[in-house]
Amino acid sequence: MNRGLRWVGYGMALAAVAFAVVLASRFGSDPGLVDSPLLQEPAPTFELAPLEGGETVSLEDLRGDIVVVNFFASWCLECRNEHADLTSTANAFSDQGVTFVHIAYQDSPPASLEFLETAGRSDAARYLADPGSRTAIAYGVFGIPETFFIDEDGIVVGKIIGESDAFVLGATIDAIKRGETPGQSVTGDTQQRPDE
Amino acid sequence: MSERARNTLTVIAVAAMAALLVVLVATNPSSPDRIEAIGERIKCPVCQGESIAASPSPMARDMMALVAERVDQGHSDEAIVDELLSSYSGAVLLDPPRSGLTLILWIAPLAALLIGIGVILWWRRHPPDATPAVPSLERSRAWRLAPLLILAGAFAVIVVVAGFFLQDRAGPASGVADLAGQDLDEVSNETMEAVIAANVDNPQVDGMRLALAERYYEVGDFRSAFPHYLAVAGSGAASDPQAVTALIRLGWMTWEGNREATTAIDLLDEALAIEPDSDTARFLKAQVLWCGNGDLEQAADLIEEVLDHSELNPESRQVVESDLAAIRAGEPCA
Amino acid sequence: MLSFLGSAGMLVALLGAGLLVGRGVVAARTERPTNLEGAARVLLAGAVVAMAALVLALMADDFSLVYTANHHSSLTPFPYDIATAWAALEGSIVLWGLVLAGFTWFVLRRYRRSPDRLGAAALAVMGAVSIFFFGLMVTVANPFEVCVQALEVGCAQSSPWPFAAVDAPANGLGPNPLLQNHFMMTIHPPVLYLGYVGMTVPFAYAIGALALGVPGPEWLRRSHRSTLLAWSFLTAGILLGGWWAYEVLSWGGYWAWDPVENASLMPWLVATAFLHSGIVQQRRGMLQAWNFILVISTFALTILGTFLTRSGTINSVHSFTQSAIGPALLGFLVLVLVGSFVLFSTRSDLVASSPRLDSFASREGTFLANNLLLSVYAFVVLIGTTYPLTLEAFTGTQVGVGEPFFNRLAVPLSFMLLLVMGFGPITPWRTTEPGSIWSRIRNPAVLALAAGLLTALLVTRIGWVVLATTLGVFVVGTMTGLLFDQAERRVAKTGQTKWKALKTVATGDGPFWAGQLSHVGVVLIAIGIAFAANLGTHSETRLAPGDSASFEGYTVSYESPFQRTSPARTVIGARFTVTRDALFIATVEPSWNFFGGGQTGVGTPDVLHRPGGDLYFTLVDLPDDTGAVSVTFDTSPLIWILWLGGVVTVAGGFLAMAARRRERVTADERASVDV
Repeated sequence: MNRGLRWVGYGMALAAVAFAVVLASRFGSDPGLVDSPLLQEPAPTFELAPLEGGETVSLEDLRGDIVVVNFFASWCLECRNEHADLTSTANAFSDQGVTFVHIAYQDSPPASLEFLETAGRSDAARYLADPGSRTAIAYGVFGIPETFFIDEDGIVVGKIIGESDAFVLGATIDAIKRGETPGQSVTGDTQQRPDE
Repeated sequence: MSERARNTLTVIAVAAMAALLVVLVATNPSSPDRIEAIGERIKCPVCQGESIAASPSPMARDMMALVAERVDQGHSDEAIVDELLSSYSGAVLLDPPRSGLTLILWIAPLAALLIGIGVILWWRRHPPDATPAVPSLERSRAWRLAPLLILAGAFAVIVVVAGFFLQDRAGPASGVADLAGQDLDEVSNETMEAVIAANVDNPQVDGMRLALAERYYEVGDFRSAFPHYLAVAGSGAASDPQAVTALIRLGWMTWEGNREATTAIDLLDEALAIEPDSDTARFLKAQVLWCGNGDLEQAADLIEEVLDHSELNPESRQVVESDLAAIRAGEPCA
Repeated sequence: MLSFLGSAGMLVALLGAGLLVGRGVVAARTERPTNLEGAARVLLAGAVVAMAALVLALMADDFSLVYTANHHSSLTPFPYDIATAWAALEGSIVLWGLVLAGFTWFVLRRYRRSPDRLGAAALAVMGAVSIFFFGLMVTVANPFEVCVQALEVGCAQSSPWPFAAVDAPANGLGPNPLLQNHFMMTIHPPVLYLGYVGMTVPFAYAIGALALGVPGPEWLRRSHRSTLLAWSFLTAGILLGGWWAYEVLSWGGYWAWDPVENASLMPWLVATAFLHSGIVQQRRGMLQAWNFILVISTFALTILGTFLTRSGTINSVHSFTQSAIGPALLGFLVLVLVGSFVLFSTRSDLVASSPRLDSFASREGTFLANNLLLSVYAFVVLIGTTYPLTLEAFTGTQVGVGEPFFNRLAVPLSFMLLLVMGFGPITPWRTTEPGSIWSRIRNPAVLALAAGLLTALLVTRIGWVVLATTLGVFVVGTMTGLLFDQAERRVAKTGQTKWKALKTVATGDGPFWAGQLSHVGVVLIAIGIAFAANLGTHSETRLAPGDSASFEGYTVSYESPFQRTSPARTVIGARFTVTRDALFIATVEPSWNFFGGGQTGVGTPDVLHRPGGDLYFTLVDLPDDTGAVSVTFDTSPLIWILWLGGVVTVAGGFLAMAARRRERVTADERASVDV
């Protein structure tokens, strides 16, 4: 019995060290960051109307292009910061088989349009409404901005979480054109909901 | 009533009431709400820990609407959950599956309960020795074990610290690109155009502008190169060598592309005003003077100045010398 | 100036802690009564000065401190400016240090009264723990750093040197909006900390006893008493947290198995186990080794909880931001566990206790069942909280563990505990006859089943609700039966009046009956949770001003939207009139609160408390241009029983403390007497 107790003590000490090593291995990683299961998978399709209304745009229509899907909202500060870079990138790559699709997330179309009014828009990009958040759900949006990269075959090959910029966007597209898979990267904070 | 009869009656009453209660509960007609039940299994992605059924956030409501629609369409619970997990990953499942990697989670508490019962039974059969301890002996023992204790503690600290420093701590990818410090080899023209367009007000962008303009210049795309050189030449923030390069290129393109000798010479003079030692500017100016204005004398002077500098490599020196000979001989330019 | 004062306070406290360790170790080894009061006084004074400096800085809007610049704004009203002193990471450590110094003083007072080696050793351990926390404050969580490079609002760069050239911003960033939405936030953390930090005291006595090699009743008595105090505060803190969540957060719940909640529940469960198993050692001399394990685990779990909520390794409702404090806390946790358990092992010959368990059908047996269930309960919470990060560390797979998992395991465990609770108090020590148990449960069982049947027939047939009522009545029934039984015997023996006899019985064994009062509280909590969780209803509508909706027999009429602006906050909400059968009941104003001119709104529910349960109103969105707004109505039937149960449970804890105090004189004789 006494010997048993001794080993209970040593066992607890050892278990504590093992447990601590496991906990220590998690330092520096973001516990809220989830690896998107969409990477390397066919992109969820969508068919959405532009914010102003009119003819719907579907992902199939854009097959053969590299499609950059950006989720944004007028209440999202990071989205405002990155918008000019998205616009210039969309313009720069407009004749290179790259299409930018901006999908409003948890935002009313008038508010989104007002946002575009001040933040600017590209003639080459599409700005779509997502009623019921169906597309946001299908893409697994946790917080915005989130930007997905879909290659010519309709496979999700990249995802940027947080505020992106023209360099990161362009470099990601360059990599996809070279046949690489950029994967997921985090460039900054995201905002999860309007009341936050 | 005798005690015995009273007991019997109580047993019967308890048994009857318990049975009735079990029947009542078991036949509870209310069926659980399927939509709610599915929603309770999914973590709201924009909240902390709440399920989409509990969260009042708009996103959770939209997800609940999707669940309701799928239920209406006749999808099974698992199919609906899988659909959500396929985009959000297993991290949003509040109800870990009783299979695979999370099976252990369900088994472990049961195992703990059984082990606990086992330990209690074992403890009852093997009561501890009632040997009274001898404190003095214990004290000496403790001294022997003190180093062990310290060693264990130190080991633990080392392990934790090592764990902290050794693990791969990949920081987030570059945020807003540091425009000055980028390796541009793998960057496409379009990316550079996009970065430049997005950073027109950023003085740091001049380096990238120049690099992009040089790329266009090298392939002879003067039309694309021209605006970028012009922007660098006109940028107050560009460094002197950057401005000189831009002015020289602008001057040469003006001559080569448009045959406008006067403008070209003005631009090259501007470059020389910033950098009087620029042999390239001087040489190109000589070429323009020779070929455009026919001012052979000044052209020859400039070429001689170029030749006075010893840094020219033999090859260039040969070209320059042959040009000088041609000018001296009054030959028209090639 | 305040930075200097605070830094000086921290360093003085650190010095006091060091002195306490040094002098305490000497006193514990030489058996000579030593004056430890000076060291403890220095520690306490330093801690008080540090806290005072922080509070003063907040009240004086001194933005030269980084802490003030980043967590306070000149608009923050009283009492939230003071609460900010513990709302952020660095400040929370200062509060921790202050409470720890206070508890050290509490241990010292006992030592002063009767100095002995155990007390001295415990003070040395308290000093060692204080060294860690004040060391933490001085190094990685220094709240007194000054701002050397200001931003427009807030601070960009700081220096720990109090005399560095200060560049103070004109205003600070202000506290988290959630934390200034309800006065509860000023009370909940200190109470919770009194519970958390209080667990250091039993740990100190346990380690002192192990280190000195003096097991026996003395360490246990002191650990048990101090656990009772800390446990009462911890219980109150947890319940206040639940109440805050219910009143302030818009989701209408009080418990979500969030990591931060779990972090407080784990030490509570283990401390509860110790409160029970400690009685077994006091009465029968058994389970000493197990009690050591429980006390050490309780303290370790408070450190683990602090680590989980402050290291940034787990996502949580109110996790603090990530900093170097994570590795420091983890290192301390490992030191505590490895040190304590290695010490435990080296003393294994001493900690083993000899008496044999006569029968499982005895009070000891019910306590064993209680401890087994509570330990498994704590294990469920621990594994559920840490499994996701363990799995990700090993396999990279991300899984979620949440409410459904915890509920599925915790609910049955809770009901098993209730069942054991019904038998425990009526089961005699050592061994028992089935007949005597039967005679005690006979009437309560009939009563309980009748109550269950009534619930099933009149209210609901949902199993958990029926079971909660049945078991609840059973627990209270057996306990009341015992009370009346003993009173009757007393009446027969002494001829006292019945009422007088009841009083004599209840005060005669004060700690026992105070414990039973806590049991009643737990029963009420269980019933409250069962009703509110299973019978709540929910509905949502969109109303324009002038519209009304009916809900659960009430008519809710939308009067108008409103907006109230004060310097600190803007409240935008909607005013509703609630009537029942044309009778006016109340006006409610659920709203969104915006703080400090920020864009971040906090949804604020309005709760209408009614005897049958609460009506809970929340706004889904802001009123639009026409004033129309979406509003949700929820009911939480009988939820007040849950809060009442909380009060009763805590009251039981404090009454037991008081009764113990009265009995301290006769404690030694009592411990040796068996029933």
